[in-house]
Amino acid sequence: MASGTIALAAALALALTAAATAIGQGITASKAMDAIARQPEAAGSIRGALVISLALMEALTIYGMLIAFMLIGKI
Amino acid sequence: MEHGANVLFSIGPLEVTSAVTTMWAIIAVLTLLSWLATRSLKEVPGPLQSAAEIAIEKLRGYYEELLGREHARKYFPIFATFFIYIIVCNYSGLLPGAGHLKGFALPTASLSVTAGLATVAFFTTHVIGVRERGLKHYFLSFAQPLYLCFLMLPLNLIEQFVRPASLALRLFGNMYGEETVTEKLYEIFPIGVPLIMNVLSLLFCLLQAMVFTMLLSIYVSEAVEEE
Repeated sequence: MASGTIALAAALALALTAAATAIGQGITASKAMDAIARQPEAAGSIRGALVISLALMEALTIYGMLIAFMLIGKI
Repeated sequence: MEHGANVLFSIGPLEVTSAVTTMWAIIAVLTLLSWLATRSLKEVPGPLQSAAEIAIEKLRGYYEELLGREHARKYFPIFATFFIYIIVCNYSGLLPGAGHLKGFALPTASLSVTAGLATVAFFTTHVIGVRERGLKHYFLSFAQPLYLCFLMLPLNLIEQFVRPASLALRLFGNMYGEETVTEKLYEIFPIGVPLIMNVLSLLFCLLQAMVFTMLLSIYVSEAVEEE
């Protein structure tokens, strides 16, 4: 019972954070593409900001993944 | 996530793990390379010197864009050190044998290493802030605007202490996660499939080093800016 619940919790920890982060990253990337299409000369600085914001969002998934690994270690 | 299992030997109370010996090796290799590259500086550089020059020029351009010319020139050494060290650490995990041989493990996949790096980054930010703006001025800036200081001071202080934690966790989580995913893929199907993750790692290792130093330079530029 307990290990089953832990496994479910680990799966949810990763799945929920990944889903939410994917939505956020999708919005960010599409806005950045819009911006580059509108102003191709600003592509360099837009790309820099895009990478930073994607990495910051990515960190949230990583936190979820860390928790998932910790939980799996407990089974 | 080390649990004392992979301690190689100990110097007094300090336990030396595989990550530590790998870092020693990286430090030795970097020192040797920079010594070789700058041993006999010439007007018309040889291959090693020109490679080093190109790398440093690119890095300097990158930081000048982020920090502005003056501060980037002044504090370039610490940013470049962070970047070069982290990127070499990250890529060392892609060498064959990393994590399997005794005394050779990806250093940034250990929370102690990244926490150490983040601590240095934390003090770097504040030392530069105090140097640029003076002690009183710098610490008063955490309580701006003054009529809201009871609200802003705790918020700003919490933010300052969360920053190194998030820097450390981000680098550690990415590297540890990558390693673990590659390992799991290897367990599922050992031929070819882990390669996909390795190719992605090539990109992520660079990205994590970039993100760490870029965030550090954003923090520094926040610390030095005048209102």
